[in-house]
Amino acid sequence: MSNWVLKGLQTGIKTTSYPGREEVASGVSPGLPVGKKEPGGEAISLISRCPTHAIRQMGQQILVDYRRCINCFRCVRGVQEALDWNSGYEWAAYMRTNDGTTPWLEKVFGRSLHILFVDGGACGACISELEQLNKPFYNIHRLGFFITPTPRKADILLIAGPITDHMRLPIQKAFDGMPTPKRVMAIGSCALSGGIFGPSFASEEGVQKLIPVDVGVPGCPPPPLAIIHGLLLAVSRKSPASLISFGSVDGRKNS
Amino acid sequence: MMETGNFFVLFLSLCGIGVILSALLPERKNPLILAWVTSLAAIMILLASGKVLLSDQVWQTELWMLPFLGRLVLKMDHLSALFIFVTGLVFFPVSIFSAGYMPKYVGHYNLKTFSVFYHLLFGTTVLVLVSGDIFSFLLAWEATSIFCYLLVNFEHESEETTRSGFLMLAMSEAGTLVAALAFLILANASSSIDFASLKSASIHLGVLARWWVFLLSFFGFGVKAGLVPSNTWLPRAHPIATGNVSALLSGIILNLGIYGIVRLNVDLLPANQLGQGLIVLIVGSVSALVGILYATTENDMKKMLAHSSIENMGIVTAGLGAGFVFMASEHPVLAGIAFITAFYHLTNHSLYKSLLFLGAGAIDSSVGNRNMDRLGGLIRQMPWTAFFFLAGTLSIVALPPFNGFVSEWLTLQTMLQSSALSSAAVKIVFALCGAGLALTAALAVTCFVKAFSMSFLGITRSSMARKSREISRSMLIPMAILAIFCLLLGVLPTYTIPILDKTVSSLVQESVIDELVPPFFTLSKGDGKFGEAFVSEFHDLGAQTGKDFLPGRGLVVLHRGSEKNPVIFAMSSSYTLVMLLLLLGGTFVVVRMLTKERKVMRQPAWDGGLRRLLPEMAYTATGFSNPVRVVFNAIFRPSTVEDTKEMVAKHFRTAIKNGRKEVHIVDRTMFHPVVEFMQSTSMFLGKMHSGSVNVYTAYVLITLIVALFVQLLL
Amino acid sequence: MERPLDSAVKLENLPEEIAGRWPDQVQVYLDPQNGLCLMECEASVLMEVCSYLFSKQGFSFASLVVEEEHAEFSLRYIFYLENGQVHILHQISKTKARVPSISHLVHAADWHEREAEDLFGLVFEGHPRLGDFVLHEEWSEGVNPMRAGFDPSKPYVHREVNPYWRPVRIVQAPGAFMMPIGPIYSDFAESAHFLLETVGEDVIRTIPRFFYKYRGVEKIAEGRRADEVLLLAERFSGISAFAHSLAFCQAVEEISKVEVPPRAKALRIFFAELERLRHHVSSIASICGSTALAVATSQASIIEEELLRLCCAVTGHRYLFGLNTPGGVTMDFNNEVLQNLADTVQGLFKKLDDLKQMLRLSSSFLDRLEEVGIVSLESAASYGLVGPIARASGINRDLRRVLPYSGYEKVEFIIPCEQEGDGYARLRVLFSEAEQSVNIIRQVASSLSSGPTISPPFEVTPGAALGWAEAPKGATFHWVRTGEDGRVVRYRVTPPSFTNWHGFHLAAENFAFQDFPIIMATFGLSNAESDR
Repeated sequence: MSNWVLKGLQTGIKTTSYPGREEVASGVSPGLPVGKKEPGGEAISLISRCPTHAIRQMGQQILVDYRRCINCFRCVRGVQEALDWNSGYEWAAYMRTNDGTTPWLEKVFGRSLHILFVDGGACGACISELEQLNKPFYNIHRLGFFITPTPRKADILLIAGPITDHMRLPIQKAFDGMPTPKRVMAIGSCALSGGIFGPSFASEEGVQKLIPVDVGVPGCPPPPLAIIHGLLLAVSRKSPASLISFGSVDGRKNS
Repeated sequence: MMETGNFFVLFLSLCGIGVILSALLPERKNPLILAWVTSLAAIMILLASGKVLLSDQVWQTELWMLPFLGRLVLKMDHLSALFIFVTGLVFFPVSIFSAGYMPKYVGHYNLKTFSVFYHLLFGTTVLVLVSGDIFSFLLAWEATSIFCYLLVNFEHESEETTRSGFLMLAMSEAGTLVAALAFLILANASSSIDFASLKSASIHLGVLARWWVFLLSFFGFGVKAGLVPSNTWLPRAHPIATGNVSALLSGIILNLGIYGIVRLNVDLLPANQLGQGLIVLIVGSVSALVGILYATTENDMKKMLAHSSIENMGIVTAGLGAGFVFMASEHPVLAGIAFITAFYHLTNHSLYKSLLFLGAGAIDSSVGNRNMDRLGGLIRQMPWTAFFFLAGTLSIVALPPFNGFVSEWLTLQTMLQSSALSSAAVKIVFALCGAGLALTAALAVTCFVKAFSMSFLGITRSSMARKSREISRSMLIPMAILAIFCLLLGVLPTYTIPILDKTVSSLVQESVIDELVPPFFTLSKGDGKFGEAFVSEFHDLGAQTGKDFLPGRGLVVLHRGSEKNPVIFAMSSSYTLVMLLLLLGGTFVVVRMLTKERKVMRQPAWDGGLRRLLPEMAYTATGFSNPVRVVFNAIFRPSTVEDTKEMVAKHFRTAIKNGRKEVHIVDRTMFHPVVEFMQSTSMFLGKMHSGSVNVYTAYVLITLIVALFVQLLL
Repeated sequence: MERPLDSAVKLENLPEEIAGRWPDQVQVYLDPQNGLCLMECEASVLMEVCSYLFSKQGFSFASLVVEEEHAEFSLRYIFYLENGQVHILHQISKTKARVPSISHLVHAADWHEREAEDLFGLVFEGHPRLGDFVLHEEWSEGVNPMRAGFDPSKPYVHREVNPYWRPVRIVQAPGAFMMPIGPIYSDFAESAHFLLETVGEDVIRTIPRFFYKYRGVEKIAEGRRADEVLLLAERFSGISAFAHSLAFCQAVEEISKVEVPPRAKALRIFFAELERLRHHVSSIASICGSTALAVATSQASIIEEELLRLCCAVTGHRYLFGLNTPGGVTMDFNNEVLQNLADTVQGLFKKLDDLKQMLRLSSSFLDRLEEVGIVSLESAASYGLVGPIARASGINRDLRRVLPYSGYEKVEFIIPCEQEGDGYARLRVLFSEAEQSVNIIRQVASSLSSGPTISPPFEVTPGAALGWAEAPKGATFHWVRTGEDGRVVRYRVTPPSFTNWHGFHLAAENFAFQDFPIIMATFGLSNAESDR
């Protein structure tokens, strides 16, 4: 009979110390492109290279709309002037303003948040990253976050994937079935903008078109640390990033 | 107030008037006549027996004198009065129910005959219970059986009905015959046939005769009571009878069997052998277990209730058996407690089983189907029926504050009192039977959770159920009456037990009231009867609460013990009710106060995101009870009738068919072997009939020679 | 009993055999260099020919490709054996869109036919279960998204207001009912619906309902450039992104007759095996998780996360997105980096092996896997199952051996195979394949040739070809047809999950409720991959 207890003790603690300390191990995040404040001449061609039109020009600057970026790396590989790269992971941002009528979740659920995940057509990568949350390296239980399979007990609804046609009704029912106060978090660029699938006859252009979204985590897929950042953002334990490069760091208003 | 005798005469005349009116008046008016006349008659008989129950007198009348046999006597002692009271309690609401229930048979079957037989059944049942001699007893008993059969066979056009009714009659007659033999043995020893002389003469009977009387009467009356091994007729008779007749069958007719057993073995010829008590105990426990097992896996509501009746009768019998054992072991106090428990359970069973059967009848008349796999969600269409049915369910699963709790609890406590006995073997039997009864109680909860929830809660499983409507008030009111009775008997055990004690003390010759419900006494000194330790525990248990304003003896049922163990068991369902109300009410108030600012959202039940939850996706009654069927597979032994897989074109499976057939364990182990044996014997003997005259002549010749031979030898 | 790797009938003899049996009804064209045999078949003998290939000669069924042309539909039934494919072509006119169904004899084609019926509107005569497959009840009858006239860019405005749908019940026993599971049912489960038919104790049969995640990848790929469709191929199933992108790239390279440099091929093998290893570790973690053996789950998850971080550190993305491109790979790597990676992987494999030894000795864990969810060899063969699941039931087919691609013919490895077909057999296959992947990675890392990692830039020419790869879950086939301007005209993906979900109900029969998540975990299939 194998001694599992001994094995577990021998392995030691693998959990990251984020959010207490920055996680610096290599490979925790693929990163996202950062725009360029002073682009050279070649950088303009990157705009047409991006398959999801995430890169655009605003005045002098080249901006990246993170809601659309699908991590295809075509703006950094095989080009003469590559975009700068942000290899961090704190990417989550608010998608709605706090209009002051309902208390934000931190007052009620700051240390105990129940999460319902609904798969709105995600490819396995976002789901695989989400599954890592309950695994030893990330372990969200220490932060007071728990997963529940029923909307009746859920405080926040996580959705990944462009909403496919057949998942509209289940997602609507799950959202309606949650008691207030409730929040919605969209994970991955498919959920924020439809990714490369939407909008189409079978996919929607992101969760926002169906139900109101409060927090968005861009990436394709967003690494587990980015998702944790998003959850901490939902309970106001962390500050938001911006969904557009060089956007306001405050993040409460986003275009 | 009038005398008992007067009430009795009024009762009989009302029955007679009812018969005449039913025969003369047009059919449409018959249900109403039935309801009015029999409820009045029931009130009369309640008053009659109530007087006897509450006082110490016994009512007696002597009728005609028969040559060679003796005097015919009608006597209502406490035992009869108890059973008559219960009969009246059940007949009253069932009669009112009939007013609303019977009209659906107009045009199909003759309501006049129903009414006539109904009145006659009422009369003869009471006559059985007041008979004071063998002749009138057997006469009334036979009449009751016949009228019962006629009522059960009311829907005689269906073949199943006639077959089941006939089976009931046949088995009842067989049982009566056996019991009559017991009476014969007793009568043989005495000079006349009335019970008093039988009782005095029975003291001289030898051990062998006692055993014969016991076995014959127990198994003979056991047929009527629905005990194993003769309970086959019960689950067949109940579903075919109409709703109100089923209630009567379970609530009254089964009691007659118990009455017979008690009358013969406790009153006339007190059982004083340990073995007799053990047999009764074991048969009771086995009946209880078998009954509830089959009830749990049964989907037809009436069949399930029939099996449950077997279970409850088993519990009553087990209580009686414990009483017999205690009596034989010279513990009259414990015997008294056991008998009180048995009678309490009998009363309770009559009340809540009638309630449940009326509920089943209501469902049947409203939906048109009794199969629980076809019901569901009825609470939306029939809220009041559901409410009263719930009261019946809570009673039968023995939850406080209803009456089932009191009697079930007392039964188990009585089983535990086996520690007072000396023989280890007896204690082991008690322990096993107690465990069996506990298992029965648990299975009863399963069974009735299934019954209530599959019928009333959840999703509606068929269009019939969707179209049902709430039943008429004339059918709801009797259910309400019974539910209130159930609650009263549950909340006020300390007032019921003294009444039962009067009955029991006349049987056991010792009053146990002080052992079970001690009266209030003054604080300072206690009474000479009660020791110091007991007095202090008495106070701690709050048994002194309400001393100055509660009539009677208080609200706590407790059993006194020795100095080292002053209180052996204690319970108060009255306090439980008070606590329940306080907690529930308090919680309600607090929640209302705290949530004034929240709003309420109503969403359909979460179903995983489906478009809609279909009836096919709801748990069925079969599925709910399947684990029980699997665990107790050795008892059920289902045989596979059909286990086929249909395919279309080699890979596409279109149907998987699974059919099961079950034969009841009693049938399987007892009746079928006996029947097969008799059939094979008959076949064997039938070979004698060869058809040839020469062979028959040879038989005659052989017989003649043998007879002459025997004559020569002797 | 393994299926013999060398078949009795070689591809060369096939024309004679076919001509002998069906002289005038089948036209056979042989292309021995490419290992391709084309047959044009008449409707009357279609079923016999397919059945002959499938049952008698032991060909595997890869895919059914339906393409819409001007006046007709052309159906292409693709079969394969080692080193050879057989494409059976059949044309039907658009007015009379009826084809005889081959599912009775070639049951592996069942779901392909149902999908074609839903999406193209073809009628497969004799198929008893058409309808309600891809498109759910909100879609009206007669609307077929894959038809040319359908505009995929706009949301399809429905539809039935309160559509009627009732599941088809199979179990006829008194008191039988169906337990509904999903589409939203568990912590991180993908959206799929299951109806478990039961009489209360055991589940007798499972009826799945899929395509909740249908994103219409095949339709939205039409009209896009090859490099855009590459993104679709990578991202419709992110956990096998590399394998699918590899299959797509090989199809495009085949169309344009592009030679991929050997270093690129070797790198492709390297990362494909790395993905396979990570995928199998993830499957092992989920199997341990389904049996609630927490420490084992954590151990496997630790290895999985370390592999993900390794992939990200070396290639920039945890799931190897953006690495494949038609013509080669987008990045080059230092040989030392790759050697270090191979050594690290070897170290991780040591941990995996320890885990395997410990699991072998945990009887309570094995109790839950042994004899649970058994798929027999006959069933697996008739359903055409692929991947580790098929190999656990005794079907020893692996595309890396049967139709070698990207240089696999030069690599030494064995194909693990088990016989029992139960959950434990599938777990053992996963462990063994992980070990083989590590071997391959080491071999490639130590024998890497130098040279370019991408072919010179090229234009995508019009044409059609089949690209394939052995994805972690099994064989995947990508059929690509390009048009005049190099844009994709038809893209047909047959992922391994699609093939294997078809056979899921074979394992999910007559089991106890509690075993359902375990059977699901041992199958380890993906709805995203299957629904596309």
